[in-house]
Amino acid sequence: MISLEHVTKRYGDRMAVDDLSIEIDDGDVAVLIGPSGCGKTTTLRMINRLIEPTSGRILIDGTDAATLKPEELRQHIGYAIQSVGLFPHLTVAENIATVPKLLGWKTARIVSRCEELLALVGLDPAQYSRKYPRQLSGGEAQRVGVARALAADPPILLMDEPFGAVDPLNRDRLQGEFLRIQRDLKKTVVFVTHDVDEAIRLADKIALMRDGHLEQYDSPEQLLDHPETKFVHDFVGADAALKRLGRVRVDSVMRTGQATVRADQPDAIEAACASESRFVYLVDADGVLVGWIDSRVLDRGTPAAEAATRVDWRQAAVRPDGSLKEALARMLALGYRSLPVVAAGGRLLGHVTLSDVEKTMEGGDAHLADHTDNEAGSIGGGGE
Amino acid sequence: MAIASAMPSESYPSAKVVDRAASAGAVVALAGCLLLPFVEFRPNRIVDGRLLHLLQCAGVWGWVLLAVLLLSLGAALLPGRYRGRGLLAGAVLSFGALLFALGSATTKLMPAGDTPARVSIAGGAWIALVGIAMIWFQGNRVARSHKASAAAALTGTALLVAAWWFGGLSQLSLAVEYRAQADTFWQLTYSHVLLVLGGTLIATVIGIPLGIVAARSGFARAVAIPVVGIIQTIPSLALYGLLVIPLAALGLPTLGTVPALIALTLYALLPIVRNTFLGVSGVDASSIDAGLGMGMSRRQLLWRVEFPLALPLVLEGLRAALVLTIGIAAVMAIAGAQDLGTLIFLGWGSIAVDLVLLGAIPMVVLSIIADQGMRALESVVVSPGIRIPREEELSA
Ligand SMILES: Nc1ncnc2c1ncn2[C@@H]1O[C@H](COP(=O)(O)OP(=O)(O)O)[C@@H](O)[C@H]1O
Ligand SMILES: [Mg+2]
Repeated sequence: MISLEHVTKRYGDRMAVDDLSIEIDDGDVAVLIGPSGCGKTTTLRMINRLIEPTSGRILIDGTDAATLKPEELRQHIGYAIQSVGLFPHLTVAENIATVPKLLGWKTARIVSRCEELLALVGLDPAQYSRKYPRQLSGGEAQRVGVARALAADPPILLMDEPFGAVDPLNRDRLQGEFLRIQRDLKKTVVFVTHDVDEAIRLADKIALMRDGHLEQYDSPEQLLDHPETKFVHDFVGADAALKRLGRVRVDSVMRTGQATVRADQPDAIEAACASESRFVYLVDADGVLVGWIDSRVLDRGTPAAEAATRVDWRQAAVRPDGSLKEALARMLALGYRSLPVVAAGGRLLGHVTLSDVEKTMEGGDAHLADHTDNEAGSIGGGGE
Repeated sequence: MAIASAMPSESYPSAKVVDRAASAGAVVALAGCLLLPFVEFRPNRIVDGRLLHLLQCAGVWGWVLLAVLLLSLGAALLPGRYRGRGLLAGAVLSFGALLFALGSATTKLMPAGDTPARVSIAGGAWIALVGIAMIWFQGNRVARSHKASAAAALTGTALLVAAWWFGGLSQLSLAVEYRAQADTFWQLTYSHVLLVLGGTLIATVIGIPLGIVAARSGFARAVAIPVVGIIQTIPSLALYGLLVIPLAALGLPTLGTVPALIALTLYALLPIVRNTFLGVSGVDASSIDAGLGMGMSRRQLLWRVEFPLALPLVLEGLRAALVLTIGIAAVMAIAGAQDLGTLIFLGWGSIAVDLVLLGAIPMVVLSIIADQGMRALESVVVSPGIRIPREEELSA
């Protein structure tokens, strides 16, 4: 557990952080959010003592952090930042090995740990271990940054806008992966962001800050439904129901059993189109989505093969661990009422429909409760 | 990400257009060969010399030289993937042909037996040499391959030896002078190298820590950087003059090796201190934040992150210091240092051009060796992650 007790940081006359008290339970993701300059980064950096508080105490599992040696404290707290800060002269593997080396691990253990971590963040170890940071894309660099922060298996993870500099599509994916990893590892995470949607999707608790002080510290649901101040209300936005979709995973409303045929079998396509379902999905020999046919178009006499809409699954499909908010945004952007759901390699798993998304929104609390109960089994389970 | 977009594949001179530097070199060399006298023949010390043009004196080698220079010009004008190697080959062959042309002219002109006659290099041959050097350097730059550069340098040396032994080059007046002075020459070259290495080594031992401290503390920066900068602006003879007083006061010799070594050290300090300072203080703030945030101590951060990242600039400073002190060491001969400058001043005093050349040419060669050697060292010790890749790595 991390406890901040009346923590204050003053720069001259300016209060960067003003009498901040919060408690973060083990295994929870606490998101610090607020307008730029409100003191999020300062708060985060006081936890690993990159910044010393002017007054107040920070307790980690009951021990005052000020009594620990800063280097040792930091070696046991993972640290990932927006600018990533990968060392450009070291390979991906060497970057990940930084803290294990400081801790004096044996080489063999470091090597196997690097491979394990690269696989965990979704990068092929054989392909990436020996690359240099300048050979990575923004999203890959960010994954390596997370792997490096996790290297020595620290119980606590500090992340300062880690997905702030990647494009929206990649950010969505990274958030999904973060949730997957967090479900397994159950770290105590302090996560800084200025993006409300990101906070709502990832947080167990959200600390909303303004000018150095805390406005409200609550679960996302409480924050959305019972904002304590006008500032909180204005900051999270008016439509709480829409925002809440960010916390619902696609696979919780995904339908399966859709009509699916191989794209290279014209007869099967005709047969499937003659059947009941409106959409027939086309896949290749490996089950990877390649397109679909809307049978209403067929009624107008177009041959099935020509009526097929060919798509790239990377663009036109969502992942099961994506959020319904993202799915809705994608439907609106593409103009579809239904979206296929695919696994990592593009294999078709099912689909989500606009009406299911709407039902989730109207069902509101009931469905959300379902969803969070599911999550509680894994994420919250580690806490006391 | 900014770093990713800075992949160096597009950053070096493309082979798509005419190579101006190399074609200029080829034109200069051709003009020198065709328009200006190639060698000067003096039957004895009293008679005025006779100037001869390339095609008048070098026989078939004159035509060979013109042909290979035209080939080099072709390599400079025709774009292509192997232009760098083409330029290097052209430069090396032109260099060899020039030496054989000089040797052949010498053999033809010199009377048999013991004679006071001398054949010396004239303006046209010197200008051709300059033009060939331009092609050579440009070839190294475009080829970006240490293997190709080393092969060219080795071939050039082999051609020099061949022209000396089999091409008549050893009868050239410069060579005659060399044979007369060989012992002194090698001894002075040796002490020149020692002075340069000694001065640069002391400056490195002082300068790298000083640069690091300057990057850390505003006070050190405010003092050290201007001071080493001011030293650099003092002309070398004036600096020597200023050194005499404290040396005398300390009872140290005011002539010879000691003042020369001190002066060289002081001059070598600026590039080393400044580049170390720039390298260390230029390290990306996010790398430092990440290093400290993961629990590195200041010292670990310095040796594992900051210094390796500063290394390209530090080595560049060492390279500059070496090249700089090779030149300044010669001036220090005035202060009684025994080095290649001694030969130059001796030649000056007795109006013996060959003696001056005997001091100057090895200095040029030493500078080139220092320059290329430091570049080779850089490619070994600097991480591939922050180095501009070479040709063979790009195509791999
Ligand atoms: N080293 C510093 N010196 C002076 N003021 C600072 C310093 N670091 C941060 N601040 C100020 O403290 C406030 C909070 O900064 P920060 O924690 O970085 O905000 P956030 O991360 O929420 O954008 C800002 O107003 C900033 O200007
Ligand atoms: Mg910040």
